[in-house]
Formats: sequence, C-alpha cells, structure tokens
Amino acid sequence: MTAEGWRDELARRQEELVRALVGGGALPGGFNPRDVGATRDALLRKRAGEVARVWPRLATSVGPGRWAAEFGAWAAGRPPQGSLRDGWDYARAHPPTGAAVLELAERELLWSYDSSSAPRPRRGLGLRRVDGVFLVRFRGRIHRWSR
Amino acid sequence: MTPLAGRGVGIGWRPEIAGFVAQLPGLRFVEVVAESVPHRGHGEPHPALAELAGAGVAVVPHGVKLSLGGAEPVDPHRVEHLAHCARVLRAPLVSEHIAYVRAGGLEAGHLLPVPRSRAAVAAIAANVARTTAELDVPLALEPIAALFDWPDDELTEAQFLTEVLDRTDALLLLDIANVYANARNRGTDPLALLAELPLDRVAYVHVAGGSERGGHYHDTHTDPVPVEVLELLRELCDRTRPPALLLERDGDYPPAAALRADLDAISHASGYPVIT
Repeated sequence: MTAEGWRDELARRQEELVRALVGGGALPGGFNPRDVGATRDALLRKRAGEVARVWPRLATSVGPGRWAAEFGAWAAGRPPQGSLRDGWDYARAHPPTGAAVLELAERELLWSYDSSSAPRPRRGLGLRRVDGVFLVRFRGRIHRWSR
Repeated sequence: MTPLAGRGVGIGWRPEIAGFVAQLPGLRFVEVVAESVPHRGHGEPHPALAELAGAGVAVVPHGVKLSLGGAEPVDPHRVEHLAHCARVLRAPLVSEHIAYVRAGGLEAGHLLPVPRSRAAVAAIAANVARTTAELDVPLALEPIAALFDWPDDELTEAQFLTEVLDRTDALLLLDIANVYANARNRGTDPLALLAELPLDRVAYVHVAGGSERGGHYHDTHTDPVPVEVLELLRELCDRTRPPALLLERDGDYPPAAALRADLDAISHASGYPVIT
C-alpha cells in the first residue's frame, strides 16, 4: 500500500471507532467490547459534566444526582455538538420544569437556534414573558422584570 | 537546556482555583488549557494568568483538541491559536497529546488512542511538522491514558513513543498517572515501560488522581493522587530528574488543604522544594 493508502485506511478506521464511541455505530472487529464500552460510558459522563456547566439549572432540574444518567441515556448514540447545543437539544426533547424553564427561555431569547446548525445571536430588542417574569433582550444581554 | 529546567513543582491553572494558585508562595510554573485562552482579536488571557506570567512564572499552553494523532491534517486555525497562546503568555514551550479527538466530522469529546502502527507514526509526524512550523517555541508530546488498545498494534508502547519522538524532534511530556493507569488496566509492568522510554527527552511530568470504576482505573483528574501513583513517581525520579512536575486537577475542586497535600506529596516524591 502507498503512504496515501495507509493514511486513508487509518482515517477510515479512526472514523469507524469514533462512530462506535459517540455515534451509535457498530464496534469495529477486534476491539475488546468491555474496554471500548467503558470508554463510551466515560465519554458520556464527561460530556454530561460539561453540559451541566453550561446548563446548570437544566442539570439540577432532573433531580439530585440524576443528571449524568438522564443525559447519558438521551445522548448515547447522538454525536456531541458542543455543550450549548447538546443541552439545548436535550431541553427541547425534555421540556424542563422549575428554574430550568427560565434558563431555556433566556437562551431562546438570546440566540436563534434551528437544532441543526450553530446558534446565532439574535439582534435588536426582544421580549418574552415566562412564569410571570418579563425577559428583555437589549444589546445582546438579558434583563429581567418580575411583578 | 530544556525549557523548564529546575522549575520544580507546578499546578494546572484553572479559573476555579485561580485564587489558590495565585497565593502559592513558591510557584514558578503553571499550565493552562490552550482552548480556554481567548482567540486572537477576541480578548486577553485571564488577568490572573497575565499576572503570573508577569511575575516570572512559566505559563505553558496545553492543547487538548488539536488531534495530532488524526490521519486528517491538523486544523491550521487550531495550530495558529496554539502559537498565539505561546506568544501572548510568553511561554517557553507548548504541549499537546499523542491522540486523536475527531474523525470524519465527528467529535469524540476526549483524547482517543491511535494504533501503535507505522502509519500512525507517519500521520503524527506529519501533523507535528505542520504544528511546529508555526510555533516559535518547542513542543512537548504527551502519551495518553486509554482503556482500550487497537487490535493490531505493530509496536510496543515504548517502541511507538520512541519512534514518534525520533521522527519529530519533540520533547516528552510524561504523565506518570497515565503510565500507572495503562499498566494497571493492561496488567503490564510500569517500570518496564520507564526503563525503555527516552527519559532524557522529558520536558516535564504530569501527576493526577484517578479512581477505580467498573474494573478499570480511570485517570479522572477529580480524585486525590493515589499513593500508587506517588510511588511510581518516586521510581521515575530515582531514574531521572524531571525538569519540572505538574499537578492536574480538572473538577470537583477540593478545599485548599487537599490541593496543598497533593502538591507537597509531589515535592516529597521528586525532591523539589515545597511550593505551598
């Protein structure tokens, strides 16, 4: 095989393995299923922790000590899109309760997100009312009023 | 002379422990995750980091997302950012991993092992060359901890790492906790690996905590440094005097006393002055 041939073969195998770890793909032949499975679970735990830092109220809203398992069950097989989008997609799939309602509403007011490409900042003035709280977007920041 | 000669014991700087780090009286060396430093034109490094650099503390940008071990060429923007970090922090060197983190447009979210093959060595050498071409300072490469191996490795770990270093002129960032984790999970002898590695290429040493979970030892960076890792560090320091050693902690930050205990334990194991 040529040098390019080896590199293409390595690229194909690396992609196959990443797909098995984060994309729900089949385990490539020859790998130890238990060891790769432990890696897949560790990646999910790390990802859950990172999403919890960006979406702290969403993570606590599922109950004490529950986030890693709840998020992990949903995220398994879904390739990571970065913590902002991962938490957003999770929140849209599991409409939140409590303080997480406001967390999601603030994000929705600040950014335009179509669930398939990177969120884009919304421009101008924006207004939303959530749980009796008025949220106002002004110059890229959220201001809150409650009665 | 090696860039961190005699810098002794340092700690991975993270915003969550910036106050603790700023008050370490003997500190001469920190590391910062390169991807956490603002890109050129998007802000300045954290003021606490700038203050450390200004006070003569060596700040080493440590990349985690370059994917040097990927068959795909490294992203030039990521390389440029690493070079930018080194310039703004006046770093004496930068470091990255012998690992890949993405392939075919999919992000793994963490460092993955590459096969110990000649094709992988060639891919790494090509990516390191693309990177060092943009850097004004040396690059140190860190072998990772992994829970699995590829099925058809052609080289032993020592042969593979030696070959990578020979082909790249890079320095070695030896993570002693990774050496411990890999040996424990594979059932191999960590001292045998230390005996075969080119220890004269060590730029600095990483030390971190981990814990057992489901039959594997995980290099978590969120646990205290276990006594077994400190014991292995002592064995390493019997064989070579590392220019510098660094404690990595990445979450579940404990009270200051616990961080001080880990730092002091590294000082005692290595013979470098206590910095706390």
